[in-house]
Amino acid sequence: MPSRIVTLKLNGAERELIARPSTTLLDALRETFGLTGAKRGCAQGGCGSCTVLLDGRPVVSCLIPVVTVDGSTVDTIEGLADGDRLDDVQQAFVDHFATQCGFCTPGMIMSATALLDRKPDPTRQEVTEAICGNVCRCTGYEPIITAVLAAAEHRRGVPLASAEAEV
Amino acid sequence: MVISVQTPDSAEAAHAALQAGAVPLGGGTHLMTRLNDRAGGDLRLVSLRRAGLSGIGVDGATVTLGAATTLADLEDDARLSYLSGCVRSIASPPVRNLATVAGNLFVPQPYGDLAAALLALDAELDVLGAGGARREPLEQVVTGGLRADDLVTAVRFTAPAQSAFRFYKAARRRLNSGSIVTVAARITVEDGLVGDVRLVLGGLARRLVRATGAERVLLGAPLNAETVARAAEADAIEPVDDAYASAWYRARVYPVHLRRALLGA
Repeated sequence: MPSRIVTLKLNGAERELIARPSTTLLDALRETFGLTGAKRGCAQGGCGSCTVLLDGRPVVSCLIPVVTVDGSTVDTIEGLADGDRLDDVQQAFVDHFATQCGFCTPGMIMSATALLDRKPDPTRQEVTEAICGNVCRCTGYEPIITAVLAAAEHRRGVPLASAEAEV
Repeated sequence: MVISVQTPDSAEAAHAALQAGAVPLGGGTHLMTRLNDRAGGDLRLVSLRRAGLSGIGVDGATVTLGAATTLADLEDDARLSYLSGCVRSIASPPVRNLATVAGNLFVPQPYGDLAAALLALDAELDVLGAGGARREPLEQVVTGGLRADDLVTAVRFTAPAQSAFRFYKAARRRLNSGSIVTVAARITVEDGLVGDVRLVLGGLARRLVRATGAERVLLGAPLNAETVARAAEADAIEPVDDAYASAWYRARVYPVHLRRALLGA
């Protein structure tokens, strides 16, 4: 079967690509669209570094032939910030030192974003469950959990640590 | 390598693709890991994502799960709350948003915890085969398999009575880990005695095990530690070694986890 034209609503914009049968969603994001936030870690669905949102839900993009999601909505880490202004989850990761080498960070933030979109007031346990498929070898996870809970509080009206520092 | 991916919009078209030699792709959480990792011959896939095989139906006590329903969809459905512990024990949210009900029936052990639960619930499969649609007990499929051109379209079972379904999974981590021992059971207790029991073990052996010896010990007996200890000795199980645990360890801890599953302590 020849390559096919695939249409995605990618970070809010209609985008097209010509995809071979073996092209994964991750391949398309990184190699066709130049969106290198999502990383190829294990390519087994085990590390979560390729996590993006597919129709609003977090998925491991390394395991999806992109032709099977033609017409879907895809959101990646690159779509979160407004220009140079980070969104609240990204800012909370900065404020709480939740990123070190940064390899897991885009996937971690997309899993956290999906959680907060569904559960604006998550418990610590719910945060832990939401990121259980995202492996981090640097932080020990505690700063990440703290950052996600802080982002949730911010969405409910509590200022982020950085905002307090600016005051 | 993958030389084609079909995305049919009906079960019949998907079945026709299987008959022409394509391999079914559900959520891809097992098959795609192989394709990402290993060189292989030419492979034609047929994706079931758009084949109209998703959805959950509850009609009285009869539950019907479309074959391509995701594990996340099960998790979100309050009518299936008795399966929540099982589903949430499987992999992670980004995997459960892809992984499908029927896909879980065919992954190798120590995965397939939902299959253990569905076997304990005595599920049946709707299958589209060369001779048309038919229904097969899951138990028969687990032991005998299906033809390569058979397409599972749905899974059906009777919802368990309240508190009658037990699921317990021991793993190396509390979340996102393959099974060391999985116990899934449908059990009713009347006047302190076991009235009905169907017991399935996952994670222990090469295949899911219906623990019929343990069922015989339990049936009609008082549900207590002594009975459960005897039940744990009643089946000839050949535990496996893998990266999660040794066969020795699995054999050693199985009685403990059977007790925890059935008695909660």
